Amino acid sequence: MTERHTAVPSDAAHLPALTEFLRNFWSETGLPTVEAVPFELALEEVFMNVVMHGSQGGRVPRVEVSVALVEGGVTLIVEDDGPPFDPLSLLAPNVTASLEERPIGGLGVFLVRQMMDSVRYQRRDARNQLQMTKQLAVGPSTSK
Amino acid sequence: MNTQFESLGKVTLAMPAGRLDYGAAAAFQSQLEKALAGAAQAPVGMIIDCAALDYVSSAGLRVFLLVARGAKRAGVALALCSLKPAVREVFEVSGFSQLIAVYADRAAALAQMPA
Repeated sequence: MTERHTAVPSDAAHLPALTEFLRNFWSETGLPTVEAVPFELALEEVFMNVVMHGSQGGRVPRVEVSVALVEGGVTLIVEDDGPPFDPLSLLAPNVTASLEERPIGGLGVFLVRQMMDSVRYQRRDARNQLQMTKQLAVGPSTSK
Repeated sequence: MNTQFESLGKVTLAMPAGRLDYGAAAAFQSQLEKALAGAAQAPVGMIIDCAALDYVSSAGLRVFLLVARGAKRAGVALALCSLKPAVREVFEVSGFSQLIAVYADRAAALAQMPA
C-alpha cells in the first residue's frame, strides 16, 4: 500500500508545505490531478481549523498528516495533539441564507463533509484524529 | 495567486489566477476592495473572470462573500464568470452560486452589466 506521512507545527505558514506534500503524493502515485482538489481542500480546511482553534496557553500543537491509497480511493488522516475538539460537532451553516444573513465562518468543515465520502473523528491517545476517505473516479495511471 | 485588473468602460474586470487559499485570501480581498472603490469613482459593475482560478477554499469564499456585500452597499453590480469545474463545485456545494451571479462566460456576464 502506498502511504506517505508528514508533520508540521499548527501554524498557517506551513499550509503551502502541506499542499506540496499532497501534490507530491499525487504525482508519485500517478493519480489524475483533477482528483487532488477535494483532498487539497480537505487538508487546508482541517489544518486551518486546528491552527485557528487548536492552540491553548501559548502551546502550538503538532499536526501529523498521512495520505494513503486504499481500495479505489484515497484516505487522508489529520491528527493533532491540541485540546479535544470534534469539528464534526459544529452545526452545518445555513447554505440558503441571503447575502446579508450569511455567517462569515463555519463553511470549511461543511465543505469537507460534502466533498468527502466519509469523515470520522476520534479522540485517541490525547490526540484529535480526523479520517477522511473519498473514492476516485479514475484510478492511478501507472502500475509499478 | 496573481490578479490582473482591466477597465472595460465603466465595468472593472478582475482576473484572478492560481490558488485562492488561506494564504492568498487577504491580499485578494484588499485588491478587490480597492477596485470596487475605483481610482476616481466607483465602477458601475465588476466582473470577476475565474477562467484561470484553479482552486478556492472557504477562506476564498469568505472574500467573495465580503466583496459581494461591499458591492451591494456601494451599488456596484457584481458577477462572476468562467468558473472551472473544481471551483464551480465549491460554489455550488456552499450555496454561493445562489448568492452571487455566476455566468458561463465573460460575454454573458458583460451583457448583464448596467449600461
